[in-house]
Amino acid sequence: MNKRQTRLFAIGSTAVAALVFLGLTIDTHRQFPKLTNAHNITPAVTAGKDVWHKYNCVNCHTIFGEGAYYAPDLTKITQLRGNAYLTAYMKDPSQFYDEQKHRRLMPKQDLSDEEISNLLQFLDWVSKVDNQGWPPRPILVTGSALSGTDMATPEVQATQNAPADGAAMPLPPGTDPLTVGENPMALGERVFRSATPACNACHSTAPGADMAGPSLHGLVARAQELVGSPDYKGQAKDVDGYICEAILKPSAHVVPGAMYSANGTSFMPNTYVESLKPEQVDHLTAYLSSLK
Amino acid sequence: MRYKSQSVAYWYFAVAMVLFGLQIVFGLLSATKYLGPDPLLYILPFDVTKVIHTNLLIVWVLTGFMGATYWMVPDESRTELHSVKLAYVQLGIWVVMGVTAIIGYLFRFGTGNKLLEQPLPHKIAIVVVMLMFLYNIGMTIKKSGRFTTTEGVLLLGIASAAVLYVPALLHYENYVVSIFYRWWTIHLWVEGVWEMIQGGFLAYLLIRLSGADREVMEKWLYVIVGLVFIAGILGTAHHYYWVGVPGYWLPIGGIFSALEPLALVGMAIYAYSAMRRSGMAHPNTLALHWTVGSAVFTLFGAGLLGLAHTWPSVNKWTHGTLITAMHGHAAFYGAYAMIVLAMITYALPHIAPGRREQGTPLGYWAFWLQLTGMFGMTLSFATAGIGQVYLERIMGMGYLDAQLKIQVHFLMLIATATVFATGVALFIYDFVRYAPRFEVVEDEADDGAGARVPRPARV
Repeated sequence: MNKRQTRLFAIGSTAVAALVFLGLTIDTHRQFPKLTNAHNITPAVTAGKDVWHKYNCVNCHTIFGEGAYYAPDLTKITQLRGNAYLTAYMKDPSQFYDEQKHRRLMPKQDLSDEEISNLLQFLDWVSKVDNQGWPPRPILVTGSALSGTDMATPEVQATQNAPADGAAMPLPPGTDPLTVGENPMALGERVFRSATPACNACHSTAPGADMAGPSLHGLVARAQELVGSPDYKGQAKDVDGYICEAILKPSAHVVPGAMYSANGTSFMPNTYVESLKPEQVDHLTAYLSSLK
Repeated sequence: MRYKSQSVAYWYFAVAMVLFGLQIVFGLLSATKYLGPDPLLYILPFDVTKVIHTNLLIVWVLTGFMGATYWMVPDESRTELHSVKLAYVQLGIWVVMGVTAIIGYLFRFGTGNKLLEQPLPHKIAIVVVMLMFLYNIGMTIKKSGRFTTTEGVLLLGIASAAVLYVPALLHYENYVVSIFYRWWTIHLWVEGVWEMIQGGFLAYLLIRLSGADREVMEKWLYVIVGLVFIAGILGTAHHYYWVGVPGYWLPIGGIFSALEPLALVGMAIYAYSAMRRSGMAHPNTLALHWTVGSAVFTLFGAGLLGLAHTWPSVNKWTHGTLITAMHGHAAFYGAYAMIVLAMITYALPHIAPGRREQGTPLGYWAFWLQLTGMFGMTLSFATAGIGQVYLERIMGMGYLDAQLKIQVHFLMLIATATVFATGVALFIYDFVRYAPRFEVVEDEADDGAGARVPRPARV
């Protein structure tokens, strides 16, 4: 090759690559409205985007995995946490996380109520953009999902087929069920992970591992004590009733703590009463009542 | 120094050095925050130190590019610059823009758009500076009537860099669309036209330093540019993973990003074979270290480490983790920081004749400490990132808990970053140690066109 030919190569390959790129760009523009639900970009979403920019959120957090890596990804945060929780969190993050424990903390941002509401609408729009199913598994903010605590994933469970005689055995907290066939606790553990939003996005079953919701370790013992005591505000008469009530009517009795509720309203979504079938609630109750 | 007007380059380099030093300060601050708890949480939180860290990088590297161009173009075109005054005015506006932007960031006065956080007036100032710069360089070449290929590649690179900044000025209602065009600026800069600029400087340095044949070097420069753009333009697709664009960007990103190392392999072979063919006769062996070092480190940081997480089925798990920081640090340092430092090291003995031309011992310490430090930092980010991906993304451990498990890698990061910062400090000290004299030396013609007899080194 002489210099003229190499120059032609440089110009030619650049031109071809640029043309293909421009063509794809035009096609991408054609598809933006559908992929991003552009009709849902309301003035509030746009205002929320401005809040996201104004407070420089992207230089700690990521959305769509883009930003800085100092704080959790927020792409799907509104699908893991309810608005009440996120609003209270935005008002004072230090009530939710301990800087001494996690060694980092989000500074209080002093957003107005309107800014918070807009920001959450923006994040909710983000969570619904069709982005090829990323992340492949929910990115949690806190909580251990490791062996001995909470490890099993739906995929892992689906591959497990143990003999049926294990079905009647009570399961120790957080271990993988030996069978998923008949055992209501095993089925309940699946519901724990597969409900929308998933219970395990906010609750761990490990001792002391409080996430957005309190740890469910030792739930039964605590419930037994609570149900008979004067502090209890709900209607339930026994442990199973209490667990069932907590799933369906989270605000009937709230666990103390500014990170769990505000003005007597629990941050836990109250949507399970509609989204779960009665037998799923039974299974979930069975599973949770196994957490001694 | 053969032309008096080349002295403007020195002041660009000096500004670049100050900003480089500041960038490292804010980088170190950011790194310590990973260990936490942060006593500066309400004074200088992470988002502020990080935005300053990345913006200073862009500003100092561009300052270095401009200075190096002002150094190189008179040499190549054998003429004085069109307007020295314009070059200084340009530097003045640039510095005011840079300093006010940084001070603004301290008070969160920015647009919060990743890497393009500059407020609008600053963006306009950047465009104005670039236009002044292109005009000055263009007029210089036009007046001289001598336009080399190396210059052409460099100039086209700088002009395209200015054009590609335009999408950054526009505002998009749809966040996904703004992501789409952000990468037209950032990616096509970093993996496109900046590589062209790097290639231009590399060719210039290799021709000067090794005395390699200009025709051969420039021929291969075209090949490298071709390879850069085949892979680089369509490689933009790897920034379009998982952000809300059509799925076909995934395979395109996978395939063309995998081709990106080709150009970088080409560049490394290019540098190495020039050395092999023509020897390392030039007395400025320190500049040779930086030049070849840049080509090799680019191949490692941009090429290899980029390839490591660019395939969609891998990136699905690594996207948005410290793996990206691993690649980012090594790539930017190898490709752009090192090529600017190479140009500075090459030019400096001509500007400040008190200096040993083959480099001071301090200069070599600076080189090796920086390299060791950056290599260690890259490994720290890599090990932290692998831990993060495994614990957080694959096992499903919460983000904050996973970060606690990888604390030891942050300690390693701070230790190696300290080594790196020491290297940077030595480089800056070595830069300011000798006062510039700006003497024009007539007989310094060494454009590599013919057989060149290297001067014996002053020891």
